[in-house]
Amino acid sequence: MESLNIFIKSIFIDNMVFAFFFGMCSYIAVSKSVKTAMGLGVAVTFVMAVTVPLNWLLNEYVLKAGALSWLSESFHDVDLSFLSFIVFIAVIASFVQLVEMVVEKFTPALYNSLGIFLPLIAVNCAIMGGSLFMQEREYANIGQATAFGLGSGLGWWLAIIMMAAIRERLAYSNVPAPLRGPGITFIITGLMGIAFMAFLGIQL
Amino acid sequence: MKKYICTVCGYVHEGDSAPETCPVCKAPASEFRLEAEEKKPLLGGKNSNAYIITYSVVMVVLVAAVLAFAALKLQPIQNANVELETKGAVLASIGQGAGAAEAADKNAYINDEYNKYITDAFLVNEAGERVDGNAFEVLKNIKAEYDKPAAERLLPVFVSNVDGQVRYILPVYGKGLWGPIWGYVALNSDWRTISGVVFDHKGETPGLGAEIAGEKFQSQFEGKSIFSGDELVAIAVLKGAGSSAGNPNAVDAVSGGTITSRGVQQMLLDCLSGYKAYIEQQLAVAADAANPLNAECHE
Amino acid sequence: MNSKNMKYLFGPLNKNNPVIVQILGICSALAVTAQLKPAFVMAMSVTVVTAFSNLIMSALRKGIPDRIRIIVQLVVIAALVILVDQVLKAYVYDVSKQLSVYVGLIITNCIIMGRVEAFALGNKPWPSFLDGIGNGLGYGMILIVVAFFRELLGNGTLWGVSVIPASWYIQNGGFYANNGLMLLPPMALILVGLIIWIHRSRNKDLIEK
Repeated sequence: MESLNIFIKSIFIDNMVFAFFFGMCSYIAVSKSVKTAMGLGVAVTFVMAVTVPLNWLLNEYVLKAGALSWLSESFHDVDLSFLSFIVFIAVIASFVQLVEMVVEKFTPALYNSLGIFLPLIAVNCAIMGGSLFMQEREYANIGQATAFGLGSGLGWWLAIIMMAAIRERLAYSNVPAPLRGPGITFIITGLMGIAFMAFLGIQL
Repeated sequence: MKKYICTVCGYVHEGDSAPETCPVCKAPASEFRLEAEEKKPLLGGKNSNAYIITYSVVMVVLVAAVLAFAALKLQPIQNANVELETKGAVLASIGQGAGAAEAADKNAYINDEYNKYITDAFLVNEAGERVDGNAFEVLKNIKAEYDKPAAERLLPVFVSNVDGQVRYILPVYGKGLWGPIWGYVALNSDWRTISGVVFDHKGETPGLGAEIAGEKFQSQFEGKSIFSGDELVAIAVLKGAGSSAGNPNAVDAVSGGTITSRGVQQMLLDCLSGYKAYIEQQLAVAADAANPLNAECHE
Repeated sequence: MNSKNMKYLFGPLNKNNPVIVQILGICSALAVTAQLKPAFVMAMSVTVVTAFSNLIMSALRKGIPDRIRIIVQLVVIAALVILVDQVLKAYVYDVSKQLSVYVGLIITNCIIMGRVEAFALGNKPWPSFLDGIGNGLGYGMILIVVAFFRELLGNGTLWGVSVIPASWYIQNGGFYANNGLMLLPPMALILVGLIIWIHRSRNKDLIEK
């Protein structure tokens, strides 16, 4: 039940883009057409749904203060949490690399449509942000962590698809010249964010 | 011997200078470029596996050493910061320690004040029995305590004495909108009315939910009662300005911070209920003491 | 300092601003701008990390194996960020609490990776260092501007000090009320959009066709 709450909450209420501005760089750069936005959305969702639980395991059994005590009681006082940034980013970067290689080898068709986005993901703040929030919010078990990772990824996907759809229409609108491109995209994202705030009223 | 390469057709000429014209495509000498002399590569070149592995190992060791050194060096200062903040918050709940900002040595000031006013600290279990132990250590990791089943929890109680006025400080810990929220509730010596509270949070929305840490919200709690009759009801946090007027068991919520406010209400109820057995014992003792007949019997 | 180095240092403050022209590093730029103080600390932290990661990567550029280039960059940047985080926790604990996860997100701040890739790997250490400082400051400038308006209009304070006279407020019989919307995330986006608008109307050559 708790996992379902977290899942819904991370899609609509704590939406990565509208509530935290995560992954804005690729969000702005890749939201020009629905097709490419779709590709990046899938890639982000997939990577996030895997790396967040992976990092949860690492955090729980290696990094946290006293996390190593399952190895030996003498490690009770070891606190490796200062290493968490570097461990998280290493997990994300190597996972992305791994996926890239596997996809390239086995499904070249998918690689052609998805492949170019994978390197972008290693530096997508949404992915790293997902892992950091997972650590800060202290999710109780791996189910919750997975729900959070998957939900946040889907939320991001939703946001970029909506934006891309709006921008495709926007191409025919008469936007003031200096606002064209990133300017209007920011403002629209802001307005969408305000609309999404309505979800705060959901009782979970 | 240097190598010259024709940039037009790729012909390679070996010699001390470029040929006047290229024997293949007749390009002039200016089209030739000198190929950099191959140095004897370290470990078989920049992209060989041996080089990559050595490079990564050296780098990882180097980075790990620097980080471990920095972490070890700064750890004591960081721990002191956490301890200081906790002590500061405990003091703030009884309205002391406000001079920390102006104090020349904040550290010493807070520690002095803390030692001066906090006269006792102990742990209580679910049955309300007093258990000895380091209450401050438990407090620093209060989350771990609330993760345990209720029967195993040992909850800290701090006793303060400011100019003869005894107050009891109970830490609380719960969940807001985005993350953990926590605080300290100071009860008057009657164990019923609140003399002051302090709340803090990790990442509530600034200006909205985060206002639970503000003076305006916290000052409402003063004088409110956590008991309604003989029942421990904690404090309700009601939506809408003025909706708690005249209600001894409620305060107004932060405007725009509904979920955080609800979190505060839930936190107070959950955490104070953990102390229920102990508080009721104290009330019984107080009732005994108040009744002169009983008091005589005890003597 | 010669003119080229000046360009590296001051270019990013205006025509080449990383945030509003190159659209990099927005992620963290906006989340910490509800108040001036965390925005300032964030700006300083990013400047330090950008400058030193540029410096280190530029010094290492000839020896890095191509295949693990990205990982090496990430490790260097992550290590620098951890150092910054530890120092903040030790010496400005209050602010580090407010920044929370956003310090960690400096690692994935596109400005840093972007500058390392685009500049430091092809230039000498000193210009790279200046480029890093310039871009860090260019980023910081936007943060400060956004934070200034959000804190002033949203909370009536600057750097935590009240600047709107108390008698102006409606509850004290005045005419003024803080605009709580300014403190919410979406307003930061809209403010940046407006800044881009103003900036591009002054620099016509940046306007998109």
